[in-house]
Amino acid sequence: MKRIRPSRWSGQLLQARRGAGIPAARTPLCLAVRCQSTSSVPASDSSTLDSSSSSSASSPPAPPLPAPSFDRAPQSAKLAALHARLSLSKKIPLQTLARALVTPSADANPNFNNANLAYLGSTIINFHVYEYLVCKWPRLPMAILYEALRAYAGDESLQQVARRWGVEAAAAPGEEVDPGLLQWKAGESNVVNTRWGYIRSEAAKGKAWRRGLSSRVVLDSDFGDQVSSTSSSGASDSERLEYNTLQSEAFGSVVQAVIGAIYTHCGRDEAKAFVKSHILSRELDPSRLFQFKLPTRELAMLCAREGFEPPVARLESETGRLSRTPVYVVGIYSGKEKLGEGTGASLDVARRKACMTSLKAWYLYSPGNKVRVPSDMMEPGAKPWTAPHIDIGEII
Amino acid sequence: MDLRSLLRPASQLVGPLRHLAAASSSPSSSSALLLVPLISTRGHKTTARTKRSLKMAPHDSFLPSRSAAFPAADQIIYNPPASEASPEHTPFIFLPRNDPRRLAILRLRNNNNNNNNSTFSDPSQPSSSSSSSSSSAEAAAAGDGELPPEMRYKRRQPKYNLTKEHIDEMRRLRAEDPLTWSVQRLARKFECSTVFVQMAAPAPEEHLRWLRAKMERKKERWGPIRTAAREDRKRRAEMLYRGEL
Repeated sequence: MKRIRPSRWSGQLLQARRGAGIPAARTPLCLAVRCQSTSSVPASDSSTLDSSSSSSASSPPAPPLPAPSFDRAPQSAKLAALHARLSLSKKIPLQTLARALVTPSADANPNFNNANLAYLGSTIINFHVYEYLVCKWPRLPMAILYEALRAYAGDESLQQVARRWGVEAAAAPGEEVDPGLLQWKAGESNVVNTRWGYIRSEAAKGKAWRRGLSSRVVLDSDFGDQVSSTSSSGASDSERLEYNTLQSEAFGSVVQAVIGAIYTHCGRDEAKAFVKSHILSRELDPSRLFQFKLPTRELAMLCAREGFEPPVARLESETGRLSRTPVYVVGIYSGKEKLGEGTGASLDVARRKACMTSLKAWYLYSPGNKVRVPSDMMEPGAKPWTAPHIDIGEII
Repeated sequence: MDLRSLLRPASQLVGPLRHLAAASSSPSSSSALLLVPLISTRGHKTTARTKRSLKMAPHDSFLPSRSAAFPAADQIIYNPPASEASPEHTPFIFLPRNDPRRLAILRLRNNNNNNNNSTFSDPSQPSSSSSSSSSSAEAAAAGDGELPPEMRYKRRQPKYNLTKEHIDEMRRLRAEDPLTWSVQRLARKFECSTVFVQMAAPAPEEHLRWLRAKMERKKERWGPIRTAAREDRKRRAEMLYRGEL
């Protein structure tokens, strides 16, 4: 993959452009009018200019747009190709697709960037992924559920989806760039806040303040991440954010914005079908997300909680006990029922692995591969709803 | 796929009509032309070769036997062959009450028990509720003998043999002379676990500090090999718990 190093760019690229500040200065709520023609200048902008320049220059050159104008969208071959490749409906115009490719880092004006579409799309994606995960694996612990959601709908995963769609980034955003390229640049803090959650007063205490899982459930964002306060200084923020994080955020916002556009133009069912075929179709093995601390104790507590007999490790078979590479097969039994089995080069390792397998077998219980999710009920002629299995919660 | 399943009945409708047309030796060629099938179906040769002849029921030994908790000792063929246990297979007791798999396994076990019972005692006797209950009791009696041997390892075996006086005594001894009355010695005296001693009668702070300093001094004497081995062991344990080993 080609690696872009902003630190090695020349000074021309890193300098702030002349007109970049004007759209950013607008508040998101006020109606932003952008004049595409060079002859007329909006009254609000001309009033801010100093009198000498406005009087001397008869037709001052308008500042270049931060991103390509939507008038050029129908002419872009890349946009048409992307539209066809995703087999989007005819109801979605190319201009909307072009807008989905403009990130807030390129054009801070919320009337021209994809922030709103991306937020709408992210809520749709997260809803569908969450309902699928909760119905498919009803016993997943909360931390694993967050990571599974991140694996499906996190920025890194969505970036991979966007790359597979063939979305490419422009070297730098600008008016002259093809509108079929992703417009983004690093080092620009997001003007529009698309992450919703609560910022606690305790967060000011720093790392010392303990942040439990239940607080992540109640207070934090969809992925259980802490929402950072935007009031901190912008310069330190941009330094702190990694280039890769910003890049995956930009690419991820394209996927979210496309799904938001589908929802806007085509409706709920189309958006659900699109999420299902592009995001939920990706394979995830949740058994690899687990990390245990004391598996033997956790299993004993599980058996005590559920009223099973206490787990007992039994040596099922062994080979080469006196050799350099012995193999032991240990099974965990609760009464006569076998819970799990593990192999290892020592008795202790085999026993711990067997405990981990048993715990995973508990957590990864699934009612079946074809689970019904609540949004299936919105289809016309849906069968009556049967409640899915709801677990009482985690062990420790 | 959907299209094909929809089209198949249509082609079946067209088929007999074509035969009729052929039997009537087609005085009018135009009707025969009309009845040419619109859908090209797969010929007999291809389907028979690639689908039908390969559709075979698996051998009985390939079906997993859920009758016993684990395969019998005299079994030679293991089908499916030995492989690592997958967490995708939920054990019987982990299935929720309303899961259909639970009922299926229960029915299978009952059938197996009944079969065993009838072969051993009396084949003519019909299976009833009383015989199934007796067979399950028999299976329970036989089951313990069939299970593999228990491993010997440290585990929680609560005895609940200590009273408040015992614990006060334990605390007094520990506070008096923590060097003599170590955790192991107290555990041996009161017949409880060391963890319980550590919880019920923690050592005074200066004794713990002294122990920690002693450990530090010991660690300082370790060479590079032993230090690295310790770190590797810790890393291996983490990898094990992440499922990477």
